[in-house]
Formats: sequence, C-alpha cells, structure tokens
Amino acid sequence: MAFPLPRGITPSEIGFLAEMEMVTVVPRQRLEGLELLGGPIEPLVPPRRASLPLWLALLLKRQRRANIMPPSWLHPEPLNLILEVESQHPDYRDAFSPPPPLPGQPSIRDDGLAPTARPQYTPDGNRYYASPPFLPQNTAQTEGFSSRDPPALPFHWVEMGNMLLESASDDLVEPDQIRRLLKDLPATGGGGVALTGVGAMEVGEERGFLTGVVDNLRKIGASKEQARREQMAEQRANGAYDGAQDEEEEDYMEF
Amino acid sequence: MDIDDILASVDHGPGASPESTSLDHQSLTRFWVSERAVSEVLPWPTALMDRMMDRVRMQIESIEDIAASSADAPPPTTHNQNANANHNPNLNLRLSILQTDLARTQYIIRSLLRTRLAKLTKYSMHYLVKLSSTNQNLSQSQSQSQSQSQSQPTPEDSVPDISAIASFDPLSESEASFVHAHQKLLASHYSGSFMGAFPRQLRRLDDNAGGTSMIQGPETREVVFVRCLGAAVPVLVVGEGEQEEDIGVTMRMGDVWVVRWEGVKAAWLKGEVELL
Repeated sequence: MAFPLPRGITPSEIGFLAEMEMVTVVPRQRLEGLELLGGPIEPLVPPRRASLPLWLALLLKRQRRANIMPPSWLHPEPLNLILEVESQHPDYRDAFSPPPPLPGQPSIRDDGLAPTARPQYTPDGNRYYASPPFLPQNTAQTEGFSSRDPPALPFHWVEMGNMLLESASDDLVEPDQIRRLLKDLPATGGGGVALTGVGAMEVGEERGFLTGVVDNLRKIGASKEQARREQMAEQRANGAYDGAQDEEEEDYMEF
Repeated sequence: MDIDDILASVDHGPGASPESTSLDHQSLTRFWVSERAVSEVLPWPTALMDRMMDRVRMQIESIEDIAASSADAPPPTTHNQNANANHNPNLNLRLSILQTDLARTQYIIRSLLRTRLAKLTKYSMHYLVKLSSTNQNLSQSQSQSQSQSQSQPTPEDSVPDISAIASFDPLSESEASFVHAHQKLLASHYSGSFMGAFPRQLRRLDDNAGGTSMIQGPETREVVFVRCLGAAVPVLVVGEGEQEEDIGVTMRMGDVWVVRWEGVKAAWLKGEVELL
C-alpha cells in the first residue's frame, strides 16, 4: 500500500504544522545564523530576543540554550478574557471566539471596514496569501497583551499551549492556572459549530465526523438534486425559468 | 524591487534568495496539506518541486561537508585547544538543527509523494484516460485501432498509450510513467488470472456498456475544510453540465467553511482559499 493514512492530516501532523509557528526566544548562548530549508534563521546573540520556529525553540529549550517567551495570548489574563467571551457573549456562546485577523483583515473593533487582501508573490509569479502557521500569532508582543486588539486564540492554540506546558512550563506565567484555563476552553461551545475561529486540532477531530455527515447528506440528497436539475433544465428549455430556486438543497453549509 | 535585485536573484539560481526559500517552504507545506485533504491528484507544481529537490540535495551536501570537517578536525593539541573548544559545541548543535530541518522537509515531500501514489494506483485508469484525452493526438487513435484490428483483445489493450503525450498535467512525468507501467502490469495480471477466460467483448478495462463507465475516478463533490484568504471568494455551485455555474455563498476573508471541493477548486488554484 502506497499510503495507509486517511484523508486529511492526522493530529500528530497538525502538531508538526504547529511546530512551524514562530515564537519569541531569549537565547542563552550565541549561535551564528543558519540557512535552513524552511528559511533563514537569524543569529542568536544573548540577551537579544529572536523569532524562531517552535520546533527549533523547543530543541534549544530542552538543551537549556534558550528560554521561550510565552505567546501574548498564553497568559492567565487574556485566556480569562477569551473564556468569558466564549461563555458569556451572546454572539459567541454557541460558537468559537473570533480568531486573530489575517494580514489586511480589519480587526473585530473596526467591523464594517472592508478587508483588503495583501498577497505576496511566489518565485513562479503566483499570488500567495500568508496564513497560520506562517503568521506571527504566537510571538510575545513587546508591550504585552494590552494592545489595541482584543486577545484571540490562534489557529494552533491547542498544540502550542500543550507543547509549551509540557516542555517550557517554567517559562510560563502561572502554568497551573493556564493549564486549567486551556482545559476549560473547548468545553464552552454549546452544541452548534460555527467554524470561523476553529483551531487546527479541532478541525482534525471533527473532520471525520463532519465530512461523513455532509457526504451522507449529499448522497441522500443526490437523487433529489438530480430531479431538481432535470426540472430546471426542462424549465429553461420551455423558457419558463424565472429564477425561483428551491432553497431546500444547499451545496454548502455553515455549521 | 530594483532591476538589479531581479538580475541578482536570477544570477544566483534557485534557492539563492532567502525570501524565496521561506516562501517555497510555505507553499510546499500548504500544497502537502491540500494534497492530503482532497481525493483527486492536484496539479504537480513542477517549478516549486524542482527548486525544493535542488535545495534538499544542496542541504544534504552541506551537512555532509560540516560532518566531514568535524571528523577531520585534528585532535586537540595544546596549540589549538582553545579554538576547538570554542567551535565544536556549536558545530554539533548546528548539525543537529540542520538535520532536524532536513528531516522535517523530507517528511513533507515523502508524505506528499506517497499520497499521490496512493491516489494514482486507486484511480489509475481514470488518470491514464485523462492523460490521453487531454493530449488529443495520434496516441488515442492508435490504441483504438490496435485493439479493433486484433482478433484476440486483451485487457492490456484498453490501457491508453501515453508514450507520445506532451503534457502530463496534473501528474509529474515520472508519476505518469509509473501509473502507465502499473496499469499495464495490473492488466496483464488480470488477463493471466481470470480475464483471459472471459468472452472477448468483456475483456476491456474501460468498458462503459449500458452507460455505466467501469473507470472509477476521484469524488470531486466531497466536502473539504477551507479558509478564505482573499477579500471575498464566491463558492461556485457546479451544475451537471460543466458550463453552468451558479454562485452560492460568498466567503469572507478569514472565514472557515465546509464546502464542496469542486465549488472552491478554481479559487484554490488562484491561492485565494487554503485547505485545512
């Protein structure tokens, strides 16, 4: 068998992706800059802060060569705020709290502003829009979490939180409280699933279930859809099609 | 960007500019996740993969060089002890970082290739027919006339001949020759083990008697998880005929949706949505 894994990346591969997130470290020793396949690594000069991918930060942390500065959201206060929003706010009680905005996306406070996507261009001339894990959503902000934007859980919050609690808990502020807050967070959503703001690990867990449900709905609806198409084609042929459409069959669903 | 910058980046060949290294790494990662998320084989990004393979080769060489230089280093004498003590600890650290980075990239490439092979072996006839039909040239008519002229048709005759084709889209060249060799072997195995005993008209592997095609293809109506990256991306609702497309919901930037793959494939090709 060429490949035994099911469709969609597995939870351990989601962890692998989360390890590509950039975090802030305070090096404890010098290291010259390196040209990696994932991109260049800046030279480490203590005590100057540096941004490194999480896998490298953890490698250095385990050898006591660097300390990891917790991401701006991984503190008790912002986590409490997010938990409050997810459990109290009427808009989000049955949903995920809003994710950090993408580059060019207006933050929650300037709702109404139109988003302007800012593409980069690949060497082949294709448009490329950055997204997690390649956005600085887990770096430590210099002025702390009390910046203009409200705190938000990044896409890889479960993995990031767990890995840092496991390997760098001494670098976190009140790790026990953070551990408790992280445990409380996924339990708040009440029934419905609106996916914007979903975490990577949550997608991994729900993928089999949700795609199964939607695919079965599709199969059940396939004969109906076929009948509707034939009817529409007939109407079009008779010139009687007035654009009235059966709303029952949706080709997309938001949960 | 200055014209000199462009010239400089061309001069240094693939992998010279640091931004292109990290952009390529991000594109490869995203392509890997996408390939794992859908059931069809996605268009092979030839230029990107060529650059990545070149970089992997160069990185392996430079790791070997560093490892060799550390092994060749003369035993510490009183003379150069200080230099070695300063240099060696970082050398091992550097090596382990470079090797970890290499292993991570190789994992992505391996997983990507194996996923594609799994899809190709599962839908081999589908992709062979697709290859030979997008290259409407003599190969098609040749295999057709061959099988008709022969008095004893065998399952092998129904395997399209792709030796003369010019474009391998969506496969890479080696994937195309793999899938052809695979299907030839499979057909001759079927022929030897049971199909040879069948009546002549039942020996083709691409039979579509009764309007039902025997060739199984990937399910493009399956749903996928996507994140919208463009400002606003409409989901297309594809009708039975390929031309009729209605616009369904419009996804806004940052939204995550569960949608039919066929409805967002065009936007994915433009990089305006990403698969999760």
